[in-house]
Amino acid sequence: MSTASTKPSTVKERAGLALNDEFLRKAVKFTTERLRSGKKTASEEHGNWDDWRERGRQIRLHTIAHLDYYLNLFADNARANGVNVHFAETDVEAVKIALAIAERKQAKSIVKSKSMVTEELHLNHALEKIGVEAIETDLGEYIIQLAGETPSHIIIPAIHKNRYQIADLLSAEAGETLAPDTQILAGFVRKKLREKFLEADIGMTGCNFAIAETGSMVLFENEGNARMVSTVPKTQITLMGMERIIPSFEDLEVMATLLPRSATGQKLTVYMSGITGPRRTEDADGPDEMHIIIVDNGRSNQLGDPEFQELLNCIRCGACLNACPVYRHIGGHAYGGTYSGPIGAVLTPALKKDESQWDDIANASSLCGACYEACPVKIPLHDMLVYLRRRKVESGNGNLAEKVGMKGFSTLLGGSKRMRGVIRLGQLGQKLVERDGGIRIKLGPLKGWNTYRVTPSLPKQSFRDRWSTIQRETQAEGAVLDPALKARMEAVVAERKQGGGSKHGGHA
Amino acid sequence: MADTHKEWLKELETASKAKQKSFIDSISSKLGRPRPMEKPAHPFRGAPDFWRSFEWSEEERIERFSANFKAAGGHVARLASYDDAKQFIVDKAAEMSAQYIIRQGQPELEAMNLEAAMPDAHISVWNTNQEENWRARAAEADFGVVVADYAVAYTGSITVLSAANKGRSVSLLPTVLFAIIPLERLKTRLGEALINFDQAGRENLPAGIHFISGPSRSADIENDLTIGVHGPGVVYALFVG
Amino acid sequence: MKVSLFITCLSDAIYPRVGEAMVRLLARYGVQLEFPTVQTCCGQPAFNSGYWDDARKTATTLIEAFEDSDFVIAPSGSCIGMIHHYPKLFEKDAVMLERANRLQAKSYEFTQFLVKVLGITDVGATFPHKVTYHPSCHGSRLLGVKEEPIALMNKVKGLELVPLPFAEDCCGFGGTFAVKMADISGAMVTEKVDHVLETEAEVLVGLDMACMMNIAGNLRYRDKPVRVMHLAELLYEGVK
Repeated sequence: MSTASTKPSTVKERAGLALNDEFLRKAVKFTTERLRSGKKTASEEHGNWDDWRERGRQIRLHTIAHLDYYLNLFADNARANGVNVHFAETDVEAVKIALAIAERKQAKSIVKSKSMVTEELHLNHALEKIGVEAIETDLGEYIIQLAGETPSHIIIPAIHKNRYQIADLLSAEAGETLAPDTQILAGFVRKKLREKFLEADIGMTGCNFAIAETGSMVLFENEGNARMVSTVPKTQITLMGMERIIPSFEDLEVMATLLPRSATGQKLTVYMSGITGPRRTEDADGPDEMHIIIVDNGRSNQLGDPEFQELLNCIRCGACLNACPVYRHIGGHAYGGTYSGPIGAVLTPALKKDESQWDDIANASSLCGACYEACPVKIPLHDMLVYLRRRKVESGNGNLAEKVGMKGFSTLLGGSKRMRGVIRLGQLGQKLVERDGGIRIKLGPLKGWNTYRVTPSLPKQSFRDRWSTIQRETQAEGAVLDPALKARMEAVVAERKQGGGSKHGGHA
Repeated sequence: MADTHKEWLKELETASKAKQKSFIDSISSKLGRPRPMEKPAHPFRGAPDFWRSFEWSEEERIERFSANFKAAGGHVARLASYDDAKQFIVDKAAEMSAQYIIRQGQPELEAMNLEAAMPDAHISVWNTNQEENWRARAAEADFGVVVADYAVAYTGSITVLSAANKGRSVSLLPTVLFAIIPLERLKTRLGEALINFDQAGRENLPAGIHFISGPSRSADIENDLTIGVHGPGVVYALFVG
Repeated sequence: MKVSLFITCLSDAIYPRVGEAMVRLLARYGVQLEFPTVQTCCGQPAFNSGYWDDARKTATTLIEAFEDSDFVIAPSGSCIGMIHHYPKLFEKDAVMLERANRLQAKSYEFTQFLVKVLGITDVGATFPHKVTYHPSCHGSRLLGVKEEPIALMNKVKGLELVPLPFAEDCCGFGGTFAVKMADISGAMVTEKVDHVLETEAEVLVGLDMACMMNIAGNLRYRDKPVRVMHLAELLYEGVK
């Protein structure tokens, strides 16, 4: 979706725009808070949440670790069900296949349910170019399609739009003025899209999960549009990321327990559909012809990489977006890619092997770990962001000024004597800018920091300077170590020697 | 150059099968070991062990299903027999001035004989002939009537399977959905319904398996909840038995 | 029994009173902290930004400093959290890896040591003020330090602990993040301080001076007189 050259090119610049958009910030904050608290309530009510997360993680890890087996099984079974299965290594290939099918069917219109993969492929745009109308039917996606925008949240794509903007968009489409009332606006969309569902040549869907053992595909939704596009039109095309597989319907129970609660706090989405092949000869609805396009587009880069293979666990629930404080302040578009939030910050670079193509997206994080805590399949996104930063630096694509700064840092702090010297320098140098124990100048490296804070001044004596005094005084007090405390410490040391491990911290 | 569509699909299939091999081989090579030819051991299959023994009594199931379904905006009624269910639907039709009804061709519904109770209404029975445009019949219907294959209390869900006499459209296109649930089909956990599909095996699965947990909804406009976006906006779960 | 202090560069240069409070508090129990002077910095800034060679330089000073310590204690969850990354940092160097694993196994955040190792929750402190607590991200999420500080504060006489709304939200420091993405960071700390002010607490207490410095900086910028302290300082003041 690259438009004019005036579009800012770094996450930092786009974030700047977002931070100045009051409505956007309020809307994103309100939405993420609602979804966050929904998740908290639902997961607490369900109970044993961490056990379920671990289960989900194990199922996904297992499937990805044997992806060759399961993907192959899925493809064979889907074919046996009568599905036309296609493989696409790149986005270009996937688009080519989809377009070929549309052309072959002489399709004039395609109705689509939500699919992040199709956004990744910019498929709508490609279809339009060959004269095929691709209509988004998810309410939020429909709205942003009319606006010519991309989704700003994985689950609620139009949260950056207010009802007045939406009323304007829909009124233009309706050819009459619609009141900015949710019921009225949704009512118009229901009626309008009903016609489209019934006359469309092709129904296009994404795929939440593919069941390897039966060759089935599963869709989760609340509106009913995914059911519509997979029931009414005569041809169905499904786009599927190659990693969206689980072995069985039994495993689906775990995913169905984790996904809706993590995404919105629901026990289950209103509709969960398992589609196994096109319609049977004796059925009177369902597509005559069904295609599944399995898409790689950089996903396989993560396989065999111990630092990133777990990334493929993702079930696209959006919980990390709702937990992320950075996302809450800047919204989805600032991330500049199909996927936003913490998952987007990792996925967007990870899908591109070439580090020189990576922008500053991995820097838009304070590494707080809220994403990891929220993730229903325990993906350590916060660790992955650091690995991405390291890869960018080590491939020679880092920031030169920063590189020099870090060299300086490690040299100056590489030895304690030098460190003492640095602190001494700071203590002396600050006299020029310090006032009442605080530094307020907004110049150079302190500019960003001091726009929002007062920097504390360095005390006359560092801890090192004070140490000999502190040590002398405390030793003079001569308190005796209680034998009970001694025993406790000795027990810990003993357990440690026996390989007790660091039980006092660290995550799995 | 393929002459017919079938030939074209066949061509694609041949190319796709070759692509499949290289695609999968590439995965094996990235994973750093040869392709597993046997089913790998899957120790963590399905829900955690403690969950499998979780079960509610029938009364609890009905009560919890009702609470969940109502919380999602659905309606629940408990009726003694199919006759009572029929009366329930007839009364609702009068209340809502419903004229067009579509029902599945399931034997329970044949026996229920809604047609006799509502002689003036237009009642279609799914897929009873080849010429009718059944999708259109479903689209114009005020009421859709189905008998559920399963129901799940823990999530407040109704499960319907497609078949020759059970159209997917009947539970999707009409404005109001009536799902009759024989009590013995009400389970506690989602897994209790799902396991049937693994056990049935690929060849015995229907094209469409649909779990429905309330009326269609969206909160895409300013987080304001709206009911009845594409699927039925009014859903009745009628327990019978 | 050699119990060593890992002072952290922030406490060393800017908040020496935090380290001092720790030493004096533990000394009352006869636990004499040692201070190996070879230590410099845990290496977090370089590690987090992807400059792992540079991170290894400063990390080495810590591994050397605490080679023969039995316990290493720091007034910071993020610095101890960084030590937990040392095995990854040195994974390609077998010798250093072994040393890194040993250091990780004996490193503790201050309240972890006090409560989990020594079993002390009541230090006999009195602090009659309204206090709210910000749980720093690394300490609470990555080290699992959740109940320890609460247990300690519950035993302080006169202390009224008021819950901080959205306490677990990041304060926006994130090390170099605060400099690189200054405006996002600024928005986050502003929101955090809004929540602190909502509590009407007199004192904000925490376990990590990086967060405290960040939040205190914004409070001061907005001329709000909320006092910001490390829990060690609060406890020591309460027993002096």
